[in-house]
Amino acid sequence: MAEIRTDPVTTEIIRNLFLSCAQDMNATMIRSAYTPIIYEGKDCSVALLDENGDVLGQSSGLPIFLGNLEVCVKLTIEQFGREVFEPGDVFYMNDPYLQGTHLNDSTIFAPIFYGDELVGFSATRAHWLDVGAKDPGTPMDSTEIYQEGFRWGPTKIYSHYEQREDVVDLLRRNGRFGYSLIGDMNSQVSACFTGEERFKVIADRFGVDAIRAASGEIFRQSAQLDREAVAALPDGTYTAEGCLDNDGVGDEPVWVRVRVDISGEEMTIDLEGTSEAAAGPVNCGMAQTISAARVAYKLLINPDRPVDGGTFPTLTVRVPEGSILHAKEPAPCGWYFTPLGLLIDLIVKALSPVMPDKAAGAHYGDSMVIYLAGMDPRRDNAPFLALEPTPGGWGAFESGDGQDGLINNVNGGFKDIPVEVYETKYPVRIGCYGFRPDSGGPGRSRGGCGLFREYRLQTGCSLYLWFERSRTPAWGLEGGRDARGPEVVVRSDGSERSMLKVNNLPLKAGDVVITYTGGGGGYGNPLERNPELVRRDVISGYVTREGAARDYGVVFTDGLEVDAEATARKREKLAKEGSS
Amino acid sequence: MTRYRVSIDIGGTFTDLVVHDEEERRSFTGKVLSTPDDPARGVITGLEDLIEDPTDISFLVHGTTVGLNAFLERRGARVLLITTEGFRDVYAIARGDRKKLFALQYRKPEPLIPLQDIHTVRERMLYDGMVEESIREEDFDPIVEKVRDEGIDSVAVCFLHAYVNPEHELRAREILRKRVPRLSVTLSHEVAREWREYERASSAVLNAYIAPTVERYLKNLEGQLEERGVGARLHVMQSNGGVMTASAARDLPIQTLLSGPVGGTIGGGALSEALGRPNLLCVDMGGTSFDASLIVEGQPTVSTEVELEGLPVLMSLVDIHTVGAGGGSLAYLEAGALRVGPRSAGADPGPACYARGGTQPTVTDANLLLGRMDPKYFLGGGMDLDARAAEQAVSGVARELDLPTEELAEGILRIINAKMAEAMRTITVEQGIDPREYTLVAFGGAGPMHAVALARELEIGEVIVPPAPGTFSAWGMLQTDIRHDMTQTFYQPMDPSISGELESIYSKLEEEAQEVLRDEGVPSERMHLVRTADMRYVGQEYFVNVELPQNGKLTGEKLDELTERFHAAYKTRYGHSTPGAPVEFVNLRVAALGELERNVAGFKPPAGDEAPVHSTREVIFEGKTLPTRIFRRAELPAGAWMAGPLVIEEDTATTVVPPGWGARVDELGNVIIEREGS
Repeated sequence: MAEIRTDPVTTEIIRNLFLSCAQDMNATMIRSAYTPIIYEGKDCSVALLDENGDVLGQSSGLPIFLGNLEVCVKLTIEQFGREVFEPGDVFYMNDPYLQGTHLNDSTIFAPIFYGDELVGFSATRAHWLDVGAKDPGTPMDSTEIYQEGFRWGPTKIYSHYEQREDVVDLLRRNGRFGYSLIGDMNSQVSACFTGEERFKVIADRFGVDAIRAASGEIFRQSAQLDREAVAALPDGTYTAEGCLDNDGVGDEPVWVRVRVDISGEEMTIDLEGTSEAAAGPVNCGMAQTISAARVAYKLLINPDRPVDGGTFPTLTVRVPEGSILHAKEPAPCGWYFTPLGLLIDLIVKALSPVMPDKAAGAHYGDSMVIYLAGMDPRRDNAPFLALEPTPGGWGAFESGDGQDGLINNVNGGFKDIPVEVYETKYPVRIGCYGFRPDSGGPGRSRGGCGLFREYRLQTGCSLYLWFERSRTPAWGLEGGRDARGPEVVVRSDGSERSMLKVNNLPLKAGDVVITYTGGGGGYGNPLERNPELVRRDVISGYVTREGAARDYGVVFTDGLEVDAEATARKREKLAKEGSS
Repeated sequence: MTRYRVSIDIGGTFTDLVVHDEEERRSFTGKVLSTPDDPARGVITGLEDLIEDPTDISFLVHGTTVGLNAFLERRGARVLLITTEGFRDVYAIARGDRKKLFALQYRKPEPLIPLQDIHTVRERMLYDGMVEESIREEDFDPIVEKVRDEGIDSVAVCFLHAYVNPEHELRAREILRKRVPRLSVTLSHEVAREWREYERASSAVLNAYIAPTVERYLKNLEGQLEERGVGARLHVMQSNGGVMTASAARDLPIQTLLSGPVGGTIGGGALSEALGRPNLLCVDMGGTSFDASLIVEGQPTVSTEVELEGLPVLMSLVDIHTVGAGGGSLAYLEAGALRVGPRSAGADPGPACYARGGTQPTVTDANLLLGRMDPKYFLGGGMDLDARAAEQAVSGVARELDLPTEELAEGILRIINAKMAEAMRTITVEQGIDPREYTLVAFGGAGPMHAVALARELEIGEVIVPPAPGTFSAWGMLQTDIRHDMTQTFYQPMDPSISGELESIYSKLEEEAQEVLRDEGVPSERMHLVRTADMRYVGQEYFVNVELPQNGKLTGEKLDELTERFHAAYKTRYGHSTPGAPVEFVNLRVAALGELERNVAGFKPPAGDEAPVHSTREVIFEGKTLPTRIFRRAELPAGAWMAGPLVIEEDTATTVVPPGWGARVDELGNVIIEREGS
């Protein structure tokens, strides 16, 4: 017999079951996906939702997918009514103006029925490598969404647990890698069905009423924890701003402006003053902008508590109409996440004066994507697309240095592609890979270092680059200094060029591309950093000897011991220069 | 005279021994306090208690946590890592991922060595094994100087693509050994012949890190045993579930890492065979942790990669899923919600009822309060428990939640059981395995007390509590084979035309394996080789391990069969497959087994028809206080059916059977618990 009651014990058991259900779904999807961007990039997420579309449990590889799967379910209910759902249905959609993000992101969800009753939804999202844009992958110079691939509203791809062959065939025919696209689709469908099965097992045990009572209680607990944390912040208005280098098409900076109002238990994030819709692909649908604001909130407010339908009870996000963060047709959205990485850092910066122990200097800022596309002569000229985000430095904080070579804030479980795997799969040789010295922002706590990686092409192919944040490199806090921004060097035909963004640049065998990612911002006055720590950084290669003298005022003997006297003199001199 | 087969499980608190007397055909057990400063002392004491003449020992195997503890407590050797020029930072970059999504002040897992102890030399191998740049002896000059000046005794070497062509790594060892003869040198390709330079370097560093400690320990133990006249060769339990000789363990100490816990799983495998039950879910619940593992079709499930404290290790190891749940798990409040574990009272102060200063309630306190344990018969009466302290601790939290004390005690058990059930679900349901088709085997000090509750959570109908459940891991070590795993990465699409190339790689791996087994003294009629392949759909990363069709040389036809097996295995695992889609190989593997004796029938129950009731006491089950019969395990004859509620007590464990379930003892001394009417 099912028990119909809620008590602290049952509630805690059900809460853990929801979370593990979401983890099961995620494991199913990641382990059976076909493309590295899902299984290495972890560019995906899953959620178990109640019948209203509120989150019961979720698991995410990508923080910015936090809490916007429910939007897709809710708007489908709005558009078609609940009657549209039948057991064994599966829906697909990818419209950025509805779900946020870009066309590559496939949202797939399924209703869950218990007996005849609609009791919830299992939902998934994953990045599909190619959805038929004008160039392979995600073009960097699109000016309309129609150049970025196919666009679908909520569409039934399964009915009564049977695939709708005609509809799925339409998907397959419209991507460049149709076979792996269907493989990735299957992994998402499979994750939805895993969620359905697990939910039914929970319902068998406790009954649907007990689940509802428990989820109500779980939401209440989350809301209470959040309210308490926000109320503890001093009332006031906090602001920050920064810009992207450009929109990928023009050369004007693109501004993101943040104002956070705290009033009692309420937090309002207002993005008034953010740049107007851009011609290039840095626009973002509102649903995704809200998710990103929630990521920043979550970094500061109860980060260890999993997200559910009760989280963010007092958070309001205002996104101005007509701005890049409230994209409308036909604005291109391919690189929607670039302003979001900045937005998250800015919200943290705005609130850092009232949460100094929780904040950190800015991180290197964006995914810093390089991809190489062409034919592999070692495999009968089969097409290849080698796509990589690149880690960089994270911001320093009061009690510690920023991390060196860590993936950016909108990504999460991403792992770099091992040199051995890269060289085996693609006709490219990696020349070197390591920390970029002096790239971290100097501070009492040092900002993390960015990375360098050298690609030696073994065959002709096309280069695509999306490197950002040279106009707003990672800033420091509390007297900590800014980090160095990114740089990419291309050596071709004996000449050398620097660039950050490029679309479809043809290169020849023997050409070399070297990427450098930026560091993280420093924290506190670098002249107060313990000289022994600076010495260790020099030995480890994070800081050069010149950098130690220039940024930290630390001078060494020939044997690389700290020269205390010379250091004191140097620091005094630098302090005078700094204050004048 | 050689009549005793002996196994020893050296844990943090106790050293457990199981002796099988081949003459009398019976087994007996012993438990002595561990002696962490010199583990050999505890072993010798334990042996002397049980066996008169050490020359009577014919076979000796042990499980050790020496390597694991050196790693967990960061007390290993200082290691230098030597790698390819241009790639010094790979080990510190650690692939750049964040394991927590919402952490501004994130820290990467703490590496075992700092950047200043990583050195590079000029050399470069390409992806296909061609040499692009040769290795030079003079590049080692500064490294050798540092090793000598700073007294370093362990070095790891990891060069790019060494898994394809190990020539440069071998040369590096030659150069180093020539100049520093006693240096311990770990080569990455010998630890794991698989791609991914960070993971391989991490594995090699870990091996180098624990090598001197394990080496010293084994040498000492072997020496002491020899002094006492033990002539039998010392064997060590490996993480992959097999055993190896101590000398093989010295070559690859990383294989001893999970040497302790795997014994229980292997014991499960032996039970599976003896009882004719192919599928078992094995659970080991102690004071602080809960280990769950599987026997599928008579075999333990084995993984090829694991993360320890965030650091990846490439090696074959029995899948053991561990969560922080045990008798010592603490119950506490957070935001008005009740939490149980993973925080633990440990052994000191321990549960409140140990009366050593603990005041917060634990799982053991809840069990005691509900009458499931006898405060006068803990450790067979060796230690008294304080029932009042247990009640005070539980009622303190109960008042805050406004719950009756007994209800909270049951609630604590429900939460901890649900957690353990989740761990069991992770290794079953998540892998596409239906636990209802399994029998639960419960051991460890606390396992038999929770076993039936766990079985109910997963709708399992049968539970087995083996004889001497407190020393079951040691018993398992007597039920295994010598095992070595050989691997070669082979990144190629599936195609019938490559059967010849595959055959020659497998043959080479098998030859290497046979040579190792021969070195360990295994006669060829006792060798058994199993070929498997890691396979996936082209473009995927994760793979499925598939066993090859046996008998004779590989042919195109057999490869077709292998492809079919892959599709089927994939479907079982993920619920979908893509027949007709291109498939590729990732790694080829050979498991080499050397069969050893087994003795599963060492604990015969006494003769008789009826189970004598020792006493009766009140135990609370689901809010009801029921008079409950108490039995002593040693007095239970085979076959007699006992209806629950009942409690079976023995020296190191207590088995609880609630109403609606019943128990009997089988011919091998196992307690078999079933749902009534099933």
